[in-house]
Amino acid sequence: MSGVHQPAAGGIGIEIRDVSHHYGGRNGQGGVTALDHINLDIRPNEFHCLLGPSGCGKSTLLYLIGGFIPVQSGVIETSRGKVTGPSPERGIVFQNFALFPWKTVLQNTLYGLEKLGLPKKEREEKAKHFIDLVHLSGFENAYPSQLSGGMQQRAAIARTLAVDPEILLMDEPFGALDAQTRRVMQEELRSIFERTRKTVVFVTHDVQEAVFLADRISIMSARPGRMQHVLDVSVDRSGGEEVMKRPEFVEIGEHIWGLVRDQAIAATRGAH
Amino acid sequence: MGATLNVLWRYSPLLICLVLWEIVATAGPFANQLLPDVKQVAVAFWGLIQDGEIIQHGARSLYRAAVGFGLAVVVGSAAGLLMASFRPVRLLVNPIVQIFYPMPKSALIPVMMIWFGLGDMSKIVLIFIGCLLPVIISSYNGARGVNPFLLWSARSLGASAASTLVQVTLPAAMPEILNGIRTALAFAFILMVSSEFVIAKDGFGYLISQLGDGGAYAAMFAVIFVVAAVGFTADRLYGAFVRHQLRWREP
Amino acid sequence: MNRTASPTIPAPRTAGRASPGPGSPLAGAWRAVYRRLTSDTAIQFLVIAVLLIAWETVTRLGLVHPFLLPRFSAIIERIFNNVVAGKVFMDLGLTLYRAATGFFIGVIIAIPLGVLMARNATVRWFFDPLISIGFPMPKISFLPIFILWFGIFDTSKIVMIAFSCFFPVVTATYAATLGVDKWVIWSARSFGATENQVLREVVLPMALPQIMTGIQIAVPVGLITTVVTEMLMGGPGIGGSMMAAGRFADSVGVFAGIVEIALLGAVVVKGVERLRAYLLRWHTEARH
Repeated sequence: MSGVHQPAAGGIGIEIRDVSHHYGGRNGQGGVTALDHINLDIRPNEFHCLLGPSGCGKSTLLYLIGGFIPVQSGVIETSRGKVTGPSPERGIVFQNFALFPWKTVLQNTLYGLEKLGLPKKEREEKAKHFIDLVHLSGFENAYPSQLSGGMQQRAAIARTLAVDPEILLMDEPFGALDAQTRRVMQEELRSIFERTRKTVVFVTHDVQEAVFLADRISIMSARPGRMQHVLDVSVDRSGGEEVMKRPEFVEIGEHIWGLVRDQAIAATRGAH
Repeated sequence: MGATLNVLWRYSPLLICLVLWEIVATAGPFANQLLPDVKQVAVAFWGLIQDGEIIQHGARSLYRAAVGFGLAVVVGSAAGLLMASFRPVRLLVNPIVQIFYPMPKSALIPVMMIWFGLGDMSKIVLIFIGCLLPVIISSYNGARGVNPFLLWSARSLGASAASTLVQVTLPAAMPEILNGIRTALAFAFILMVSSEFVIAKDGFGYLISQLGDGGAYAAMFAVIFVVAAVGFTADRLYGAFVRHQLRWREP
Repeated sequence: MNRTASPTIPAPRTAGRASPGPGSPLAGAWRAVYRRLTSDTAIQFLVIAVLLIAWETVTRLGLVHPFLLPRFSAIIERIFNNVVAGKVFMDLGLTLYRAATGFFIGVIIAIPLGVLMARNATVRWFFDPLISIGFPMPKISFLPIFILWFGIFDTSKIVMIAFSCFFPVVTATYAATLGVDKWVIWSARSFGATENQVLREVVLPMALPQIMTGIQIAVPVGLITTVVTEMLMGGPGIGGSMMAAGRFADSVGVFAGIVEIALLGAVVVKGVERLRAYLLRWHTEARH
């Protein structure tokens, strides 16, 4: 299915080799092992979900890919080279939006474009285009505090897409939204993905969300965070929200739920 | 019309206080001894304006306060941001801040006199030191409290470390910095008047003590009320400025 | 106003990075010593020590005129002599007595008045404009009026200090009491609490963090005011002693006074911080 959409230029994939990560403790003693020898290949132009219970280190893995926290052991590489720090080639959308509250929607969207050094006219056009893409036209001059959660997340997505990152990292971006808004946003994200075809790494603990959005799903276990399974979700997605009711979707959902159920139960018991 | 009545109603307690003052001053047991009446104060005020005395002294005072306060705002915000961003700066500056913070700054008045004499410099430096600490501390706390995801967003959108400091950390810390500056503004006036009471050749504080020593109590009251009004107005103007600066916070 | 005035600068969140690979026990011990020596606290004490040594050296070499900056050791010696002679306790004790008396009078009037303003429309109508005008004024400028009315002895000083401490506390109490979440009050009422119980058991504890913030503004303002009143009116007390020393060109005495009052300030300010931590141990702010 991916062959049809893949642009000729080719997106970039991510190679994760033997990555481990510890928090706290001293000299390797004590603390928490957030990630334990993770190996994963994220293919160019695929929508990849990292699925697991809270505390399984999936966000840590995403932050490592983003270059926000330093890699302690192992290697993370894209076709642009080793990841050593944040870069506009890897855009990120956070759960809490992380919009600059003192900037309007338009100013937020312009921020990354200014850093790229584009001429003023082109910046404005691009920003308007992406604000339009996420259906926020008419709210360009609103401050984030004046918008609903869903609208704030649209603005954050526009801001990230505007700099045209090759990889889009999403850290439970719809986790703070109510159920209906979340559903609408999922559909829009998938349709934006179909049109732009970036490599997407999407962190979630919601099985339905992962099944609906992803081409492939990595299932992680908690404490220590390990890679359990990597699944292909090769199904036909045409047809909007009816898709979720199709038997093949239901079946994949059931299958994954079976895989994560024990993890989830262990996590609720073990969590302090 | 309705709005005017509203304001009148809201501030009517002030009128009541004025009337009470007038009654006590004219009919009370210490009439004209310890409390000049409202009319005397008004006449004295008009006299001070006419001979330009209050304006001259006031300009001196406000010049000192403005320079000390302005320098403290600039230096203090920058120092706080740098302390929050760079460990060596924090380790060097923090001990000094910790020592000076709890010290009642008015205790420095005699030293300022020894170092800088009776002129402007002694007051400016005193006001600068007094205003500096609240600004440094609020700027430091504000910068440390910045949501790390904002910093990460900026870095992933291609901002350099330096531009992140100026374009993200500074505005994100701004509500807290502006709060600290408000405290500093109050300190500026307190230290201005205090230092002029203790040692000065001119300024509001000097004028007040001089009038008091000469027994011109009505004029003394007039200057005191002018100083109070100036402090009040400065705070209100600053409040309006802050509301404008932080309009992005209002839903 | 709605932030803690606490000056504590917390230690940085050191992202604990576990270094892989086992080390020999000896290396581990050495690393522990090294870490302690390079800890934030140790370095900050070192900074102070270096500054003091630099001060002593510069003054001993005669690079600064001793009148402008006396030797640090001379100041310590003077403070020691003052301690032996009991002068320190006399000065600081009187200063503390005036500051504390004024502060408590101000607070004892301010807290009930703030609560009353929040609960009674008439009280609010009368006091709100007076207090909102009085709060931002430089209160110290009223000192000559109090001297005129109450003379140059302790009464006028204490009234001045009480007047200065009153405004931050009444403003904080009023705002805090108004801001108490109505859900908590409603749930207390639903358990059958009387109005007085609601006030004592719900409203005041909920308002306490903000009231404490007001107090933490009032304390340093009170100390500043105390020192100024003493400087102006002379006599015993740290401010008066410093002015006397200044008049006799005794700069060692002036600097000794600064160190003494700085110590008193540190003890009082830290004490209020401790009190806050103790009173608010139930509050989320205690949990980090």
